[in-house]
Amino acid sequence: MAEDLVLDTAIRDWVLIPLSVVMVLIGVLRYFVSKLMRSSQVPDSKIVREGQVIVRARNLRAAANYIPAKSFRARKVYFNNEENGLLHVPKGQAQNAQAQMFSDPNMAMDMMKKNLSMIIPQTLTFAWVNFFFSGFVAAKIPFPLTQRFRSMLQNGIDLSTVDVSYVSSRSWYFLNLFGLRGLFSLILGEENATDDTQRMMQMSGFGVDPTKSLGAEKDSLDIVQHEWALPKFEQRAEAVLRKLVS
Amino acid sequence: MVTKTEETELNRLEIQVDNGGGGAWEYLCLVRKLKVRRSDKVLKHGLSILNDPKKRSNLGPEEWTLYEQVAVAAMDCQCLDVAKDCIKVLQKRFPESKRVGRLEGMLLESKGSWAEAEKAYSSLLEENPFDQVVLKRRVAMAKAQGNMSGAIEWLNKYLETFMADHDAWRELAEIYVSLQMYKQAAYCYEELILSQPTLPLYHLAYAEVLYTLGGLENLQTAKKYYASTIDLTGGKNTRALFGICLCTSAIGQLTKGRNKEEKESPELHSLAATALEKIYKQRAPTKLPLLNSALKGLKI
Repeated sequence: MAEDLVLDTAIRDWVLIPLSVVMVLIGVLRYFVSKLMRSSQVPDSKIVREGQVIVRARNLRAAANYIPAKSFRARKVYFNNEENGLLHVPKGQAQNAQAQMFSDPNMAMDMMKKNLSMIIPQTLTFAWVNFFFSGFVAAKIPFPLTQRFRSMLQNGIDLSTVDVSYVSSRSWYFLNLFGLRGLFSLILGEENATDDTQRMMQMSGFGVDPTKSLGAEKDSLDIVQHEWALPKFEQRAEAVLRKLVS
Repeated sequence: MVTKTEETELNRLEIQVDNGGGGAWEYLCLVRKLKVRRSDKVLKHGLSILNDPKKRSNLGPEEWTLYEQVAVAAMDCQCLDVAKDCIKVLQKRFPESKRVGRLEGMLLESKGSWAEAEKAYSSLLEENPFDQVVLKRRVAMAKAQGNMSGAIEWLNKYLETFMADHDAWRELAEIYVSLQMYKQAAYCYEELILSQPTLPLYHLAYAEVLYTLGGLENLQTAKKYYASTIDLTGGKNTRALFGICLCTSAIGQLTKGRNKEEKESPELHSLAATALEKIYKQRAPTKLPLLNSALKGLKI
């Protein structure tokens, strides 16, 4: 495109600004709704304990060389023995855990609340944007960009001849969706910002079997070779003192 | 842990606030962040903010945090009336809050009405059995009543679930040491070394426990941990230097007459002794003869 497209100022007044304002308002509204629906959840004792066991086993693995061999062996047996070791998961239980999680009505309820506060407004706004503003070129960024940005900035316009620095309205919606976090943390306070990207990560993390990480930790603890680091320290201490004395 | 820069910052602010230079709120925030215990100062400066309606309303929602902080500090200073007032305000604002419930329990505790406090805590635990603060308060309560075995019991119960909490391990280790249960204390210190292997204090404490336990093997291990303490502190820890000397002399006594094949570091103790002499010469020259006679008494 040799000459510039001239954008109507009405587009700015009726598309660009309203879209941003609506996104902000929806973010704020969603924050209050989710605050209303939030239930203080009592953590499950088993999950808390498992997390702590894993942290402790990891510490043991990382710093094994700093304790005497006898102590290390005692701990290894404590964690790994086949009867009642902390990391040992009985075979039958491994499958149950997940089923249990789904059958727990509280969990399902919580999931639904999360979904309600996240997915529904998102779909609605997306549908709204799509319905009213599809195919708009809503803004122009003041610097040129390479072709790779086309899919990011011109979502919804299938014209390969439009310069990439023009932003379509649907892309503007996406930019707002992911870019307003800073603004929310200003309005709602530091920790209260509704962070979509983080929440999506959490969602995808759901369903991971906690017993699996126990098993993995057990295996890696099994193969740790214990080599006591302390005898080396005597020489090192000697060197340190020699330097100090001289 | 409070680092050196944070501490100097804190002290600077404290002096500034004490001399009326302002910055009280920043000071209180820093105290809260670093979790240091300067209750008298917190009580004084916190109250001066709370008693000034203009300053107080400037804080916005942080006002309630300040009330909590001042309440805890007041209990620590035994100003129970102040604490009571603060808690009353908080309760008015947040009825049903567990966090305020905790404060009420603590108030009962500081009055010394243990049974009532216990009742308050157990009702809090009924709602949330994994409230770490309440569980820890229980331990503190047992300890305050001088019921050490009770404290150990509660702590063990706590650690069964929260076994990665190294502060609790440390508390347990100290209780065991105070009861002269050194084997158990050694286990706790091992756990602490595992969680923070580069902290020399734990190495030192572990070495001391091992030395106290005695026996050739323990003494040799203790010596190694004293050595690691020296390495980690750059030879500045006199306690570890003394420990090396003591360990060497004790080992020498035990292996006297026996054919000794160990002798891994024959020089370490003489080096430690010279280092001690040097440090004493620099810092406390008057005590030098004392040190010399003590070291002579240990001569191997």
